[in-house]
Amino acid sequence: WDDEEEDEDEVDDTDDLDPEAEYAAWKLRELKRIKRDREAIEAHEKELEEIERRKNLTEEERKAEDDAFLAKQKEEKDSKGKMS
Amino acid sequence: MEKPVRERIVDSYFWKDQCFAVNEADIIDRVVEHVKFVGGTYGDSQKPSPFLCLAFKLLQLGPTDDVLQEYLEYGGEKFKYLRALAVFYVRLTRKATDVYLFLEPFLEDKRKLVMRTRTGKRLTFMDEFVDSLLTKERMCSTTLWKMPSRAQLEDEEKLDPRISPLGDIENLLDSEPEEIDGGDGSDGNGRNRS
Repeated sequence: WDDEEEDEDEVDDTDDLDPEAEYAAWKLRELKRIKRDREAIEAHEKELEEIERRKNLTEEERKAEDDAFLAKQKEEKDSKGKMS
Repeated sequence: MEKPVRERIVDSYFWKDQCFAVNEADIIDRVVEHVKFVGGTYGDSQKPSPFLCLAFKLLQLGPTDDVLQEYLEYGGEKFKYLRALAVFYVRLTRKATDVYLFLEPFLEDKRKLVMRTRTGKRLTFMDEFVDSLLTKERMCSTTLWKMPSRAQLEDEEKLDPRISPLGDIENLLDSEPEEIDGGDGSDGNGRNRS
């Protein structure tokens, strides 16, 4: 394990070479994570809202919406042909 | 861990030489001495890393939460690869709420780690490593069991929301321009077909 290979493509993992830059880099990563998580929650909430809205529709309204959606899907599929 | 990986581990020289009759205290010595990077199997021969071998050893030893806490906290503060090993092990073995509670404090740990993959070495960070363990399906040649998301557990009131060490995130994020997406009523049906 540690008998060969060393020194070919060494990556330096020494910490605190430049503490300020390392902190700034960490902060950016943390912000990105928070943003990502929050966006996921927002997307999820939107989905729940949509489910709730659909629940409140009548049977006919739902069917009409489904048909419209399917038609649209088909149209897109036809126009796109293959996956791009 | 999958069978082929386990077989590679028990066949490896490192396993035979360094993981025989090892207890929970010896693990620390082995990590300090031999673990210079995180990763699963690497190279053309898919050699198992010392990190992975020791993770497998931990699976056999089944350390208690107290021992893990020692690895993570005190030991982990001194030896970053020990912490990395412990977070990986916790992710594999503990239930979801505990995984979040054990691991999230180390999203603050910005120390550098070397990650070795099949293609080579690259730099990563403890926080990034922990975040990947929390969000990805596969790490270090190991399939991670499917965990409910943090948001799900919060909804079920099994977890309190995480407070970032950065403090009031609202201010930080809201200073960025908010995206205006269709507004209410359009429900994602942005296309205009009259």
